[in-house]
Amino acid sequence: MEREEDTMVKKRTMPGSLGKYFIVFILPALIIYAVFCILPFIYTIYYSFTDYTDMNPANLKLVGFENYLKVFRTPLMLQGIKNSVIYAILLTGFQVILGLPLAAILNQKLRSRNVLRAVFFFPAVFSSLIVGYLWKYILSSAESGLINSMLVAMGFSPVNFFTSKIALYSIIATQIWQWTGWAMVIFLANLQSISEELYEAARIDGASSMKSFFGITLPLMCPSVKIVVVTGLIGGMKVFDSIYAMTGGGPGNATQTVMTIMMDKGISDGFYSTGAAFGVCFFIVVLIISALVNKLMLKWSRGIS
Amino acid sequence: MKKRIVALFMAGVMAAGMLTGCQKAADTAADSTETTAGSEAASGTESNTDKVTLRMSYWNSEDTVAALLDYLAEAVPEVEIEYQFIDNDNYNTVVDTQLSAGEGPDIICESPASALKHAKLGYLQPLNDLGKLYSDAGTNVYSYDGSVYALPGISWFEGIYFNKALFEENNIALPTTFDEYIEVCKEFKKLGIKPLAAGLMSWEPMLKNSMAFVTAEYLSTDAGKEFGSKYREGSITMEGTWDPYIEKWSEMISEGIYTSDMLGIDHTQALDEFATGNAAMFCSGPWDYEAIMAKNPDLQIDMMPFYGTTASEGWLIGGPGCGFAVNANSEHVDLAMKVLEALSTIEGQTALWENNQGGSSYLKGVSFWLPEAYNSAATALNAGNVYCPWNEWGEAAGAHENYGLEFQSYLDGQDLKTTLSNVDAAVAELLSK
Repeated sequence: MEREEDTMVKKRTMPGSLGKYFIVFILPALIIYAVFCILPFIYTIYYSFTDYTDMNPANLKLVGFENYLKVFRTPLMLQGIKNSVIYAILLTGFQVILGLPLAAILNQKLRSRNVLRAVFFFPAVFSSLIVGYLWKYILSSAESGLINSMLVAMGFSPVNFFTSKIALYSIIATQIWQWTGWAMVIFLANLQSISEELYEAARIDGASSMKSFFGITLPLMCPSVKIVVVTGLIGGMKVFDSIYAMTGGGPGNATQTVMTIMMDKGISDGFYSTGAAFGVCFFIVVLIISALVNKLMLKWSRGIS
Repeated sequence: MKKRIVALFMAGVMAAGMLTGCQKAADTAADSTETTAGSEAASGTESNTDKVTLRMSYWNSEDTVAALLDYLAEAVPEVEIEYQFIDNDNYNTVVDTQLSAGEGPDIICESPASALKHAKLGYLQPLNDLGKLYSDAGTNVYSYDGSVYALPGISWFEGIYFNKALFEENNIALPTTFDEYIEVCKEFKKLGIKPLAAGLMSWEPMLKNSMAFVTAEYLSTDAGKEFGSKYREGSITMEGTWDPYIEKWSEMISEGIYTSDMLGIDHTQALDEFATGNAAMFCSGPWDYEAIMAKNPDLQIDMMPFYGTTASEGWLIGGPGCGFAVNANSEHVDLAMKVLEALSTIEGQTALWENNQGGSSYLKGVSFWLPEAYNSAATALNAGNVYCPWNEWGEAAGAHENYGLEFQSYLDGQDLKTTLSNVDAAVAELLSK
């Protein structure tokens, strides 16, 4: 009996357990989340099955999967999804490929490491919109374009960074410059949590620093890689600001992404229901990618343990 | 127990915070309503108190209508205009949303396409009596189902600015046909001078340049004058009709006047190239005149029109820039109509022209002098050769942006058939709404 009472007391006083007051704390955030996220999402799904346009703002009729079929029949929308996927994969890939060794180097006992960490992280402080506008001028084909004027001064031919073929990759390059430092900081935090004893043991066993990196560092970096990959892929899929600042989706439709098309078609052109269907499709694509990444990461972390 | 009390207290504070936040907003809303209502109700108590505030939205900054607002303050003293600038990129979206919520501006500046849409949805007040004071060329694009729904403002036009000194120093005569224009460009290229500055990062330059050519060659002729009306009815396509004209115009690309390098240059950088004397010509309109002169006050510029293959007065791309419409759901329709009546006078048009010099008025019997910078375009202007093809496309007018984007792809290697077909597809999609 006494033991039961003790358990009850422990249950009540367990840290993190608020009992019936739990709802009081969760309610404000829940209401805000429901009003600004869940409700609009439900509305989006509903509108995606209607004939809602700027010319038909009332008297909506259900049209079945017509808007979804339109999404898959419109080459521009498919190109938008393709460009977004390319953008997300390349940006995230390079963030990891460049960010990991950068973090490993800046985790060494270098005299300038604090300065270098700040320098590499610095671009991430600015808004993508501002960085995009700056790079637009740096990469411009005009005489005032910084890179091209340098190339010409060195006797090389100028490069047009904004042709249909390479404009998307030019934008991705600027974003890798901006966000690699951010990934580096996440990796650094993870690196610093790895016990020095593991490296000492490896050294005693005669492992080279390269072997230590692949045998100890890389496997234990799983949590930070997961964060960078998941946030990078999702953030990359919904890119808008850097595209808007640098090319506006052009030339032609070469750099249109899911978000720029949703703005143009779904809002400016007034095809609200098609835009809603496109949004739902995009949500499913992001959901699949996130699930795949989570599964791969889980496999990786299980493999390590 | 202590923890529970603290937890309850914190929850209470959060809830109170939320309620206070809501209350503040409600109070502010109530205050603002009261202020407006108060100023309306307190008529005659003090000077300036019996004015009714009317909201007017426009995509141009307030300085483009500064003189008009001053004039309206005197001409319609019972009204105070609250000017609402909305950036052009979001203008239609914002105004559409406001109108559908029943909270639209009292006076709305409309493009021909948006006027048609809003008229169809019943958002606009018919302006037939006032419309009769304007020429048909101005009101046609704002008409729907036999009624006029917006009054044309000062016209806009775009031609080819040229550097007079570069032409004179190199003994190059002004062209009078498209072929001569190409020859002039070639001569400048031989001299190592960039013939035409163009910021093709924007979809606008090639849209206007090519459409001006098609206007001169086809749309202004008997064969082509019905194209716009047929196009908006979906009974004709661009692909199969415009091909021969665009093929000829494509000499602008094949002769290296428009180059793919220009896809990496924006409008401001192109303007800089022209203003600093690094390019002989630049396609634009009066809205860029001050920016050009601010960068180089010594520059001597003039404007020539676009030409077709046969000699003519030339053509400028342009039309009624903004149509002034009245929100049918406004609480003060009568006062908004009074404002438009004041606008439809010589004084009103003069005030509007004051900040839009170079354009002309569509009000019957009103004409303005043309600034010196447009001397070489005077013949085209006097002949009335100012035309904006997409104004005729009705609900599909927005597809002119697709046209400009497709021409960026065309410059970058896309074939003409695909280019024009894609424009047709965009038009068909808009017409299907």
